[in-house]
Amino acid sequence: MSKSLLEVRDLDVVFGAGRHRQHAVEGLSYTLGKGETLAIVGESGSGKSVSSLALLGLLPRAARIERGTAHFDGEDLLALPEEPLRRLRGDRLTMIFQEPMTSLNPVLTIGRQLTEGLVEHRGMSEAAAEARAGEMIELVGLGDPARRLAQYPHELSGGMRQRVMIAMAMASEPDILIADEPTTALDVTVQAQILDLMRDLKARFKTSIILITHDMGVVAEMADRVVVMHRGRKVEEGSVGEIFARPRQAYTRDLLAAVPRLGAYAGTAAPRTVVDSPAEVDRRAPVLRARGLRKRFGGRSWFGRGDAGVLALDDVALELHPGETLALVGESGSGKSTAGRAVLRLLDVDAGEIEVDGIAIRELGRAGLRRARRQMQMIFQDPFASLNPRLTVGALVAEPMLIHGIARGRELADRIEGLFHRVGLESDHIRRYPHEFSGGQRQRVAIARALGVGPKVIVADEPTSALDVSVQAQVLELLLELQQSLGLAYLFISHDMAVVEEMSHRVAVMQQGRIVETGPRPVVLNDPRHVYTRALLAAVPIADPTRRRGVLPRLDTAAMPRGPLTEIAPGHLVAAGAEAA
Amino acid sequence: MLRYIAQRLAAAAVTIWVATVAVTLLIHAVPGDPVRIMYAKFQSTPEQLEAVRTSLGLDQPIHVQYAMYLGRLVEGDLGRTIVGDQPVLDVLLARFPATLTLAVASLAIAILVGMPLGFLAAYKRGTWVDIGAMLVAIVGVSMPHFWLGLLLLFFFALQLGWLPVAGSGIANLVLPALTLGLANAAVLARLTRSAMIDIFDQDFVRTAQAKGLPKTVVLYRHALRAGLVPIVSMLGLQFAYLMGGAIVVENVFAWNGVGRLAIEAVFARDYPLIQGFILFFASIVVIVSVIIDVLYAFLDPRIRYG
Amino acid sequence: MASAAEPVHAAAGTPASRSFLGALLRTPSGAVGLVVVAVLVLAAVLAGVIAPYDPLRMAAGPRLAPPSWAHWFGTDDFGRDVFSRIVYGARLTLQIGVIAVGISLTSGLLLGLVAGYASGWTERVLMRLVDVLFSFTEIVIALACLAILGIGLTNAMIAIGIASIPFYARITHSVVLVERNKPYFEAAVAGGAGHLRLIFRHLLPNVVPTLIVVGTLGVSTAVLAAAGLSFLGLGAQPPQPEWGFMLSSSRDLISRAPWMMIFPGVAIAITVLGFNLLGDGVREVLDPRQRQR
Repeated sequence: MSKSLLEVRDLDVVFGAGRHRQHAVEGLSYTLGKGETLAIVGESGSGKSVSSLALLGLLPRAARIERGTAHFDGEDLLALPEEPLRRLRGDRLTMIFQEPMTSLNPVLTIGRQLTEGLVEHRGMSEAAAEARAGEMIELVGLGDPARRLAQYPHELSGGMRQRVMIAMAMASEPDILIADEPTTALDVTVQAQILDLMRDLKARFKTSIILITHDMGVVAEMADRVVVMHRGRKVEEGSVGEIFARPRQAYTRDLLAAVPRLGAYAGTAAPRTVVDSPAEVDRRAPVLRARGLRKRFGGRSWFGRGDAGVLALDDVALELHPGETLALVGESGSGKSTAGRAVLRLLDVDAGEIEVDGIAIRELGRAGLRRARRQMQMIFQDPFASLNPRLTVGALVAEPMLIHGIARGRELADRIEGLFHRVGLESDHIRRYPHEFSGGQRQRVAIARALGVGPKVIVADEPTSALDVSVQAQVLELLLELQQSLGLAYLFISHDMAVVEEMSHRVAVMQQGRIVETGPRPVVLNDPRHVYTRALLAAVPIADPTRRRGVLPRLDTAAMPRGPLTEIAPGHLVAAGAEAA
Repeated sequence: MLRYIAQRLAAAAVTIWVATVAVTLLIHAVPGDPVRIMYAKFQSTPEQLEAVRTSLGLDQPIHVQYAMYLGRLVEGDLGRTIVGDQPVLDVLLARFPATLTLAVASLAIAILVGMPLGFLAAYKRGTWVDIGAMLVAIVGVSMPHFWLGLLLLFFFALQLGWLPVAGSGIANLVLPALTLGLANAAVLARLTRSAMIDIFDQDFVRTAQAKGLPKTVVLYRHALRAGLVPIVSMLGLQFAYLMGGAIVVENVFAWNGVGRLAIEAVFARDYPLIQGFILFFASIVVIVSVIIDVLYAFLDPRIRYG
Repeated sequence: MASAAEPVHAAAGTPASRSFLGALLRTPSGAVGLVVVAVLVLAAVLAGVIAPYDPLRMAAGPRLAPPSWAHWFGTDDFGRDVFSRIVYGARLTLQIGVIAVGISLTSGLLLGLVAGYASGWTERVLMRLVDVLFSFTEIVIALACLAILGIGLTNAMIAIGIASIPFYARITHSVVLVERNKPYFEAAVAGGAGHLRLIFRHLLPNVVPTLIVVGTLGVSTAVLAAAGLSFLGLGAQPPQPEWGFMLSSSRDLISRAPWMMIFPGVAIAITVLGFNLLGDGVREVLDPRQRQR
């Protein structure tokens, strides 16, 4: 690399004071070369975001810089008074953030938000700035600049808003772009497009990028060099090749080992085996069967002429056998969570049949439904919100067993203790409240709660997507172990193809309320037939810097074949017309 | 946008309709004989009371009474007052300009004092400016309107002799408007502060800072523009609160508005006038809140183009 | 007040305990508020001991005597001791707070809980009605109630209680909506929980913290409203030592006996301030998110 553009030395950032004083960043040093992409990776609380916000003087109120220098173009950014720093900020040093939905001002037009920086820093006239903004709109692939500039943020999707953010950050052809988890809030196919765009613009404008991320796949796709952070300190630094091929520190090695990699289990038909003699899938009779599910949200207005609403489920059929995991994959809004809730009758569908263990769930009355709930339990995505904060975790685990009259008194207490041990928690955890636990521990509590009634089916809705990768790996391991020793059936809802590969026997791909492809996991993942499945798989960032994928074509979701499903091989169903595509 | 306005208008119509029902039922909720209570002060024979009962339609079944009431309402007839035997609507309309003047003047004071104070406190969050401003505001919120009125009266009218004690001229407006305005300014300052703090914590304000915009641009173009949306949405409620306060303040300063009329009516148990007042007052509050909702829609592009 | 309408997202699982009082005393507003409220309660309970004179006794001293050692806050136009009247007035004020808030809190809680839990048509009709009543404004509802019930302090308390029901119902409803859309509620449903368990074990404990805050702040509103009605002559009647009523009888004597106007007003303002501060303090303790502000 050429000579360094930015040199950070001994940066300390501290939150709070006195007794509450806490280092967010401690002794961080790194350099950024011209035209280089430096990835700063770490799990939550590693100080990766804070260290970059410090450079631009954007730290939250409670935080302050205690020590350190950051030399950029002969000046120390950290020592610079507010006014000169402001002139650099947004002009030569720019930033994009994680949440595209909230990062744009809702009451100002896109045009205004794009031009104001140019007018401010470059002294452009409104007309010149508008022309430049139009160019940038084209450049980030939004098209139709005149219309876009007059629009308000709420008229654009998340991916489009992130393109606007990028246009804004790149319009001044900055020296350094700081991208703080720029694709974390986006779907995987949109993420791929945004990463492509960033690479493209970087090459065009010769911008250096500081990429802050927790995702090793994104690192491998984008970075030249990597800084690994853990608890505010730099653990390791090196070229992307070195870090992935020969990590020197144990922390880095663990981090990399915990990352699920798509293709790791391509050769096997079953999920990763974690017990000696795993329970086999029992193919005789399905434990869960759903047919023709249909659900429409909204669409009925008081004035009668409302929109048609959203068809969240459209002729969805599922089948799950004892001991089997069916993964329901798709992007946000695909209807996968709706499907999971529908089969448990946590929401009522408009049409369709659902059978759990041979009982038609939709025909049950209230009492019957409550009895049937013993057979089917659910694990939710957000472990922070899915446990009632007012009850002890012991009471929470006891609740379903009490409701279903499974045990009481001494026996109940024994069972609770047994369940806690089963999921890797301790006896003295029982009397504590949810907020005293970490995310991973809470998810274990949720699993214990679900297990207590001895269910046959568990619907797991993105059970690990709120967790750090190292914790995710442990929770997935627990789920696999429970299935293989107890013969549980999982409906596993996920957007992460690598996790799906590790966990499932069969896969159903959902898109806009319909299943567009389903079949045995190795077949669907290794030999996808539907355009959408292919796009989904191709978009997954690969945590291997030696295997960077090329630029992906943009998807035209409107033109995709949507069914009905036809069987092209035993158990492999694809939306009709997909073969031709 | 049109649909939004139509929805607001429909909701307002429902509210006013419920008000007509409530007002009809009101007189039946009175324990005992309302006519006897109303005319307790007058020496009336049973025959006279019976005649009143017939003229008010109280001898009819309740749905007939309601139909009669609605029928007269569309003709603008709210009945006649017991005291003075005048058309209720005329009495209300004669007093309304005074109340409107007071309300508008107070709202102006509340907005001009309360919003900047709240904005400043939010901007200087955690500093002595913030703590001082919020101390003043919470004391202001805790002071009864009428006491603040009496204090102002004591100092400005009696001690200093600057302003008249009571009456209905422009100089007389100053004290009641100041009383009601300052009391509401305190409430508005607290609301503005908390709304602006929410805005300052938003990601888009950080984006504006990251763009290197001058502080004033971040503050006024980004934060304040966005902050106006929730603040304006609270003004409808604020206006209703202010109108409630006006009823009390009018009585402190002998300001001849609708509020004073209402209290007299409750004392006199003048039910037709009370009914008229409730319907009138509720309609004013509802109409103002529709206007504010529309204003709000103009400020928020998510509704304007929704 | 609308600022109370933000739901309090309870500090994750703070079980009611001794530490609550400790935490409350550590917040400046909570500490001051608690002291003020404690003084008020003491004055109410020990009124007979504290007050030097019978509050109703005429000619306890000369008429309209300014504050002195014999009469700390002076005397009124009947020669009654203003200080003693204010001390006894604390009893009425506390009664007002408890009765009015009791009525509105329990009815509002019930309405909001039922509407929020039932959803569908029940919810729409109930909340539409509540919204309508809400836009009538509290003072008009109170006046309507007084027109029905007749004037007097007890009726005023009831009227104020009824008038604020829509406010409490709206807040409860909005908190219930937030809570029932949280995954833990769905998790309880999935666990097979029935109506009673869902309402009383899951929803209610998560709604109560917000209502404690709102109820505390609500005492201020009720005290203010009752004082206002008494000032207008619709509430307390002579010779009750009610603060608002005392103010109204001071009106014509402001220039001759300003103490008759100053002290009852100070008493109301401090009481209201005390409950406002206590409410803010309780909110801070129950909702750590607010503390960072």
